[in-house]
Amino acid sequence: MSDDQRVMILPCSGIGKAYGSVGREAMYRVLEDLRPNETQTVCLSLLTLGDEQAMARVRNARVITIDGCPFKCAQVNVEHAGGRNAAVFRVFDVYRAHKELKVHSVSELGENGERMAQILAEEIAAKVDELLQTPEASTPASVVVNEIETCAEAPLVEES
Amino acid sequence: MPVLPKKKVGLISCSGEEFPEGTLARMATLRVLEHVRPNETVTLCLPLFLAGNDKERAFGRFYPTIAIDGCDKRCAARATEKYSAPPTDSIVIPEFLATHGLNAPHSCRRLDADGERAADALAQEIAARVDRILGLTHEESPDAVATEGQDSIVASCSCGSGIPVMRLKIAGKLTEVVGLPVLMEQWRDGNKPTDELFDAVKIYNAVPREMEEAYRTAVLNAYADYLK
Repeated sequence: MSDDQRVMILPCSGIGKAYGSVGREAMYRVLEDLRPNETQTVCLSLLTLGDEQAMARVRNARVITIDGCPFKCAQVNVEHAGGRNAAVFRVFDVYRAHKELKVHSVSELGENGERMAQILAEEIAAKVDELLQTPEASTPASVVVNEIETCAEAPLVEES
Repeated sequence: MPVLPKKKVGLISCSGEEFPEGTLARMATLRVLEHVRPNETVTLCLPLFLAGNDKERAFGRFYPTIAIDGCDKRCAARATEKYSAPPTDSIVIPEFLATHGLNAPHSCRRLDADGERAADALAQEIAARVDRILGLTHEESPDAVATEGQDSIVASCSCGSGIPVMRLKIAGKLTEVVGLPVLMEQWRDGNKPTDELFDAVKIYNAVPREMEEAYRTAVLNAYADYLK
């Protein structure tokens, strides 16, 4: 599959957010384990910087973003680059559906964080399949529901 | 009474999802934030410079920063300069590895043995530069001894805790003055002498010598408006 056809997975990688690490790990699980031939990624920092080559790659691909906090850095950076978010995932939604899973820390997800990443990765892989079966022009952007407004509303990580 | 955050060193790491060196930058930065210098360092997620607001963009003007980049595109250093202020120091990992005779990790997802060695060395290098910026010797650095045997601190982004800024027209140009809203509140609540307010402003803002009078006038006028 050519790069243009591969679905681009872009996590926020938030260095100060445990959910940023979950999103990053979920992305690698999709890229390396679940859909290695159908997906790609690009450094989010390049979009923040405004790198023309990276922005062009984003504009030419169907993009799935994964965000770890309400600032939605991945989603906003893709939109700013002129890309289309074919689907938007938030780690918080996985927590909402699996409240028994509390992430250990940013640098060490722990068993629960790893499980959370796997659940998210499987959801993203299913979305990749769906996008690849859908004609590009008719791909709708996902709608995010139950928006949380501030970081303070995000759940605490596991007590260490 | 509101207080401004303690002066620490801000660490800005590239996210580098496509390259093992990006993961190395991230993991070494986290080691410094959580284990090596947890009380002397803060961080901000790099993409927040674009996705955030004025408070996030004030980060590099309030804190001296070290940019840690995984490749020579230097996204962390250049984005920090573009959106906030030039970093005080910067490290580009391929140069660092070459200088220290270390190998790059081979996986983006996990640090292998080479990556672990490089992350430890890089974390020590960042810590040394933090100490240098803060004017601390290794022995003086509270974290150099305090973290041994203690539970580590969990790194967290400085978003939202943001640095308050106020925009003033100074010499005809709209200029952000870092910390001014909090300082004005402190001065009013503490009934402090008005003429000392500008001295406090200068602690948090680099005021060019030739602009000092214009800054002083604008700050004191803003404070007079605030007190009305």
